[in-house]
Amino acid sequence: MGILDWLPWRARKKTPEELAEIRRVFAARYDHFRLLIQANTRAHELIGELEEALRGFTPYGMQYVNTLCTRISTSIFQMVRHLGELDHKGHDELMVAMESINERIMTALAPEKHEVTGELVVDLSAVGRDHADLCGPKMAMLGEAGNSLGLNIPAGFVITVDAYYQFVEAGGLRPEVARLIQATDSNDREALFRTSSDIMQLVMETRLPDDLAEIILAAYDRLSEQLGEAPDLAVRSSALGEDAEGSSYAGQYRSVLNVDRAALLDSYKEVVASKFSRQAMAYRMSRGIRDEDVAMSVGCMTMVEAMSGGVAYSRNPVNVRDDAVSIHSVWGLPKPVVDGTAETDVFVVNRKSLVVNERIIVKKPDMFVCSPKKGVCRETMVEELRCEPSLTDEQAATIAREAVRIETQFGTPQDVEWAMTADGVFHLLQCRPLMQIDSAKVEHPSAADLPKPVLSGGRVASPGVGVGPAYSVRKDVDALSFPDGGVMILKHALPSRAALLDRCSALISEQGGMAGHLANVAREFGVPALFGVKGAVGKFENGRILTVDADGHAVYEGAVEALLVEKPIERIMRGSPVQAALRKAARHIVRLNLTDPESPEFRPENCKTLHDIMRYCHEKGVSGMFEFGTDNDFVEAASRQLICDVPKQFWVLNLDDGFLPEGEARTDQCILLEHVDSYPMHALWEGMQAVQWEGPPPVHTKGLMSVMFEATMNPDLNPASGTRYTQKNYFMISKNYCSLQSRFGFHFCGVESLVSDRTSENYASFQFKGGAANVERRILRARFVGDLLEDLDFRVRVRQDNMFARVEGLPRKAMGRRLKILGYLITHTRQLDMIMTNKAEVKRRKEKFLKDFEMFD
Amino acid sequence: MAGIKVLLVDDEAGFRKTLGKRLARRGMVVEEAESGEKALEVLESFDPDVVLLDVKMPGMDGLTALHKIKLINPLIEVVMLTGHASMDIAINGMELGAFDYLMKPVEFEELLYKLEDASIRKRHHEEKITAKEHSQ
Repeated sequence: MGILDWLPWRARKKTPEELAEIRRVFAARYDHFRLLIQANTRAHELIGELEEALRGFTPYGMQYVNTLCTRISTSIFQMVRHLGELDHKGHDELMVAMESINERIMTALAPEKHEVTGELVVDLSAVGRDHADLCGPKMAMLGEAGNSLGLNIPAGFVITVDAYYQFVEAGGLRPEVARLIQATDSNDREALFRTSSDIMQLVMETRLPDDLAEIILAAYDRLSEQLGEAPDLAVRSSALGEDAEGSSYAGQYRSVLNVDRAALLDSYKEVVASKFSRQAMAYRMSRGIRDEDVAMSVGCMTMVEAMSGGVAYSRNPVNVRDDAVSIHSVWGLPKPVVDGTAETDVFVVNRKSLVVNERIIVKKPDMFVCSPKKGVCRETMVEELRCEPSLTDEQAATIAREAVRIETQFGTPQDVEWAMTADGVFHLLQCRPLMQIDSAKVEHPSAADLPKPVLSGGRVASPGVGVGPAYSVRKDVDALSFPDGGVMILKHALPSRAALLDRCSALISEQGGMAGHLANVAREFGVPALFGVKGAVGKFENGRILTVDADGHAVYEGAVEALLVEKPIERIMRGSPVQAALRKAARHIVRLNLTDPESPEFRPENCKTLHDIMRYCHEKGVSGMFEFGTDNDFVEAASRQLICDVPKQFWVLNLDDGFLPEGEARTDQCILLEHVDSYPMHALWEGMQAVQWEGPPPVHTKGLMSVMFEATMNPDLNPASGTRYTQKNYFMISKNYCSLQSRFGFHFCGVESLVSDRTSENYASFQFKGGAANVERRILRARFVGDLLEDLDFRVRVRQDNMFARVEGLPRKAMGRRLKILGYLITHTRQLDMIMTNKAEVKRRKEKFLKDFEMFD
Repeated sequence: MAGIKVLLVDDEAGFRKTLGKRLARRGMVVEEAESGEKALEVLESFDPDVVLLDVKMPGMDGLTALHKIKLINPLIEVVMLTGHASMDIAINGMELGAFDYLMKPVEFEELLYKLEDASIRKRHHEEKITAKEHSQ
């Protein structure tokens, strides 16, 4: 039952009641139309955001992707719904098309489903390379190194990824964590930190499933039996899913040391909870790694009574050409080396001869030991040993040899965590691929060309040059106001500061090890970093611009031009799993296939993407409003000829509240301009009439010939063809809305705008195509107009001789000014294509346009 | 904006109370409910223009509540408000007749416009029904 069916009157004078009813119908239809347009504007903005995200310059997570896709699909749904209220034809087919597209999008976004199939706890001695999916790559490699290379690895067991999934599912953690993340504004650092602690606390409070707890304790008991005593364990992470391209170092997770049976289950939860530490979340965010793809496997291993310990790199992390092995070492447990909080001895060993080429011995005032009574604690080093090398050359050679063996076995340079017991035996604690940076082959300016540095010395923790405002971070609260692009200055290279690295242009730390976590992440993110620069904290007022030249071991005041080479902006999201998911979803969203509304292909069945549906709904919505309003039955209520003194005929269709009562009252089917109550229409009109059109530009014979040729060939130029809408010049209006589609001579243009008090919903769109001249000149004209509009904040797309421009979200006055300019362009770009190959003439026109625009300010 | 009758349904008391106060300051008539079940109870004596409905609540979830509200009075417009981004739930909600599906955090201005639009929609709907009755 259509809307016309219950209006019994036909083409006769209407009674006041009938007129009132017509008005109600129009108002209701306009409400649907306005909501359709509102959803259209929103969808445009969201798709623009999506395209920006695909370019990959700013980091985002899966939450953002899901939110974006949900918003887009909701807006499209509303467009379909409101169009359906305006015109039921095609609605069912449109719903079907939309549903199938939405299904495809949801499939593209779904996380990989994980089947819990394997064991929950595995003995470390049974773990090898093939267990990477079950135990995480770190435990797998450790087990492999133990088995195939016969290296000493700690005894222990691994609580697998399947155990993790069981824990997470049973506790309902996944949706709850997602909800907490969703509700956090990712730009609000304080909120992010709070969310991180909320999630970690949630994990700690969630109960382990009983059978899992039993299995873990049983494994501990078996280990005790095997060792003949109840051991103290190191409980460490081995996370799955952080092997995205180019990232070798995962966000620092918690390792809990010296864990006995009573503390085992809680320690497990602590390590699992650390998946959501600030550093880990920030790391995943900036690497585009999906939270749900990171599964925690946890290794529980006996602690080694280390006399010395540390980290070894089988190659130089900052120089691919250097294949010497570097060993960073301290007395006692390797913990402070891994954290990066201690100064370490450094031994550089030739990988073939195993000769120690270089030795840097530092003062080592403390060490970490594992004491059965006190747990792991820091002890003061005995006086005699403080300045003694923590390794003999022989021991360094042993470590280097094993590091190279591991590298050969796994085929990539290695980052090895080791401990040496008093009997000189090498123990492997962890090994992972080492990421090497190829520092840019740039000519380093000689010292003579550079100003005097304000700080010099230190060690290159990460190469490169950075410039930005100085900012000392002393306490956690300082992190909250860290400026984007700042130079972070630290006293200690605390791992927790890694959470800020994606916002730093450079890093200076008074203390810290090259092999520690912060250094690793700085290298990975390409943030130049200088460690061991004494007196840096508090030396510079926050905000003072500094240039940090890590390779040159120097810090300068101000921006030093000679050092600043244009570094290509890194597309951080490129290759990330999150971006991949967005890309897959985008295939069903972005591309516009339905381009020609007048083609028979413009049908719901041919909608392949949400953009197609959007286009279809908008087009049908606008033309539908026109068809309905110009139906003979409503003519006296809605559609009037505009009384004005231009030779061209203009008609005005009132969609809702666009006529003043005096105008409504007329019975001659005309309307005076001053009785039209539409802000956008008046602005447009003003622009159209402001400056007299100069008339068709002088045309050379060649130009004229091309016009005549086009006229005979192009059926679109026949005024008799095309829809009724484009034959007459109709303004469709309401108080806040205006749409004009018109043919002027050989070109077609369309303007649409909504300007109300809701700034966020304001928009103006302008489209034109066609023209009398040949294709080349028409394209030039499209670009000419596009450039002008880009300078006015429009988003412009030029496809051959078609130009589309759109601007959104500006306040009333700004929109008004742009509408006047659009009106001006409608009048003055007529036949402009004819002269486009005449450069001098084009220049003159542009200058005239810009001058004329000034009158609209 | 004044005079719009809103029913706020959300299990987070803090959020509900704060938002309720802000909306009341704008002249809206606000009632609250901490669950779907409670909301249905309130509807026995309160006839809102718009219901602002949380999706994930313990007990009766948002979609079920939406469905039941529409059964009681199909003219009431329901705006879903949620902390979870889920295309699946959003589309289901729209199919069940939700006016819109907003995600927390939502800007207060945006929420106001949404409530205003929903109440205008309701008014048009009611007028249409009245007109139909008259013509018969």
